[in-house]
Amino acid sequence: MQTRDEFVAKRQRQWLELEQLVSTGAQLHTKSPTQIAHGAALYRAVCSDLMHARAMGFGYDLADHLNALASRAHNALYGPPSFSFGAVVHFLRAGFAQTLRRNLSFFLIASAMFYLPLGFAIAATLTDTRFALNVLPPSTLEAMASAYSSGFGDGREAGADSAMAGFYVYNNIGIAFRCFATGILFGLGSLFFLIYNGVATGAVLGYVITAGAGRNILTFICGHGPFELTAIVISGAAGLKMGYALVKTNQHTRLGSLRSQAGELVELISGAAVMLLIAAIVEGFWSPSGLPDQVKWAFSGIVSLCLCAYFAFAGRGTVHRSLRPPSHSLSPPPPSTSTPSTSPSSIPPQSTRGIG
Amino acid sequence: MTRPGEFTASTDAAALDTTAVIETPERVAFSFELAGPVRRAGAYLIDGLLRAMVLFIFAVIAVAGEAIGDAGLSGVGTGVMLTLAFAIEWGYFVLLEMLMGGQSIGKRVLGLRVISDDGRPLGFGASVLRNLVRAADFLPMMYALGVAVMMKDQRFRRLGDMAAGTLVVVEERRKLMGPLVIHPPPTAFELAGLPHKLDLSSEDLDALELFLRRLGQFPPAREVELAERVAPIFARRMGLHYQHPVRFLALLYHRATGRSDHANP
Repeated sequence: MQTRDEFVAKRQRQWLELEQLVSTGAQLHTKSPTQIAHGAALYRAVCSDLMHARAMGFGYDLADHLNALASRAHNALYGPPSFSFGAVVHFLRAGFAQTLRRNLSFFLIASAMFYLPLGFAIAATLTDTRFALNVLPPSTLEAMASAYSSGFGDGREAGADSAMAGFYVYNNIGIAFRCFATGILFGLGSLFFLIYNGVATGAVLGYVITAGAGRNILTFICGHGPFELTAIVISGAAGLKMGYALVKTNQHTRLGSLRSQAGELVELISGAAVMLLIAAIVEGFWSPSGLPDQVKWAFSGIVSLCLCAYFAFAGRGTVHRSLRPPSHSLSPPPPSTSTPSTSPSSIPPQSTRGIG
Repeated sequence: MTRPGEFTASTDAAALDTTAVIETPERVAFSFELAGPVRRAGAYLIDGLLRAMVLFIFAVIAVAGEAIGDAGLSGVGTGVMLTLAFAIEWGYFVLLEMLMGGQSIGKRVLGLRVISDDGRPLGFGASVLRNLVRAADFLPMMYALGVAVMMKDQRFRRLGDMAAGTLVVVEERRKLMGPLVIHPPPTAFELAGLPHKLDLSSEDLDALELFLRRLGQFPPAREVELAERVAPIFARRMGLHYQHPVRFLALLYHRATGRSDHANP
């Protein structure tokens, strides 16, 4: 029978070889084909060595050493699911709208939780300014009122536009992400942020209108509002969906139930992030420009119609393809469900429609 | 019995060691050592320092650019800075975890890696999710909620890990150790009292080896105290008597492994 020392002496050269291969830190699939094949063979050999060492009782340290080596090799060998540009394009063209339609009830609830407080806060502030003063610090409200008092007839300097666009990216997308993330507290965080943001926005609007600059601020908002407000509502809807999955588990464990929704959550929040990015650019460069009010309102109308049309019709008739590749299956999924380009029904919309 | 690729929660013994067992398609079960809160906080601090440094360097460039640039364009630097601050706050971990196979620079320095809890590598969606929910882990401040959840969880997951189905594991090289030397060498007289075939399982031997390898790292009284917890069990099982528990365990190990029988006159 082989002793431990004989076993180690016989196998150690290959272990060192694998050690060197994985210690570069790079994923194995970035190496040359021969190296990949060789690495895979070494990995399998170490796996069987590990089992052998365990079965023969060759000692704790040897099993530990081989275990560490095998697990590192495993992580280097099994690359992450590849990220394809085509999937992103498909997601923006169809997947996002499909996913939102499938979660319409969350979207409607989130809308109500945002727009009702917003409307209420405007009405309350118009009735009595003290409402706004109770919600936000007077200095903030005064600053807003004076910022919009003169309007944007002369436009703004390009530098100031960039600075504000940067601020909107940092602040607004951050708000939306937080609105989503706190949904993991059984949806309560999202609920709070939706209502809070609704009330705060409504208070500012009401206060600025009372100060006599209502036309200025509404004209300012109308361009990016459709993107920004919708995206915040979608983030909140995703957060509510996350919380709901934890409550209504459909006989899964709570985490299992949440996990089963993870793909759609990522899609909703990614789509919202893209919308917020667009909103920040519009808000930074278009909204404060010196263009006539009529142009801005026409733009707002067209954008709103496009958004409605997108969410209502984009991706109808195409197979839904998840951004997140199907997990928990070792065999590759059947091509008909994972790649719409091979299913006949999806060819017309893909080939006849242009970009966007 | 677990299916390949399926992750099994640790059993009692493993839970003590904070490991998680995964069975691969090769039908080998190996265990990952889970990363605890302190080590993860260390990696987070390293990443935080790096992020602050990058931001600081760009801030210097932006300020310098605005000072020498056209007055009409003042603010471009601020805009770029804020966009960058956003990208670093929300995108740093996703970008690096995708580029470095589940690691960030801080995680690599401390030998940590994020993996999917079915043992597979971290995917894009999971990385986005775990790093967005970071904002909830941060609540109410300084990751208080995240750390509290981590402490309560058997696998040290924060909320983001739970949502995304990920684990943070420690990847360490383990040194192969030389043969265990028992000092002073057992005498023939000591060995004569032991039967040739001992009733010891391989787990028993592993435990003995682990203990004997750590001799000298404890105060002698502690060594005796530890040995006294298991020595009576072995003695009763084999119907033996001993005088010194540590020496008894060493002799048992020596006889069972039989490694140095020939070295003994």
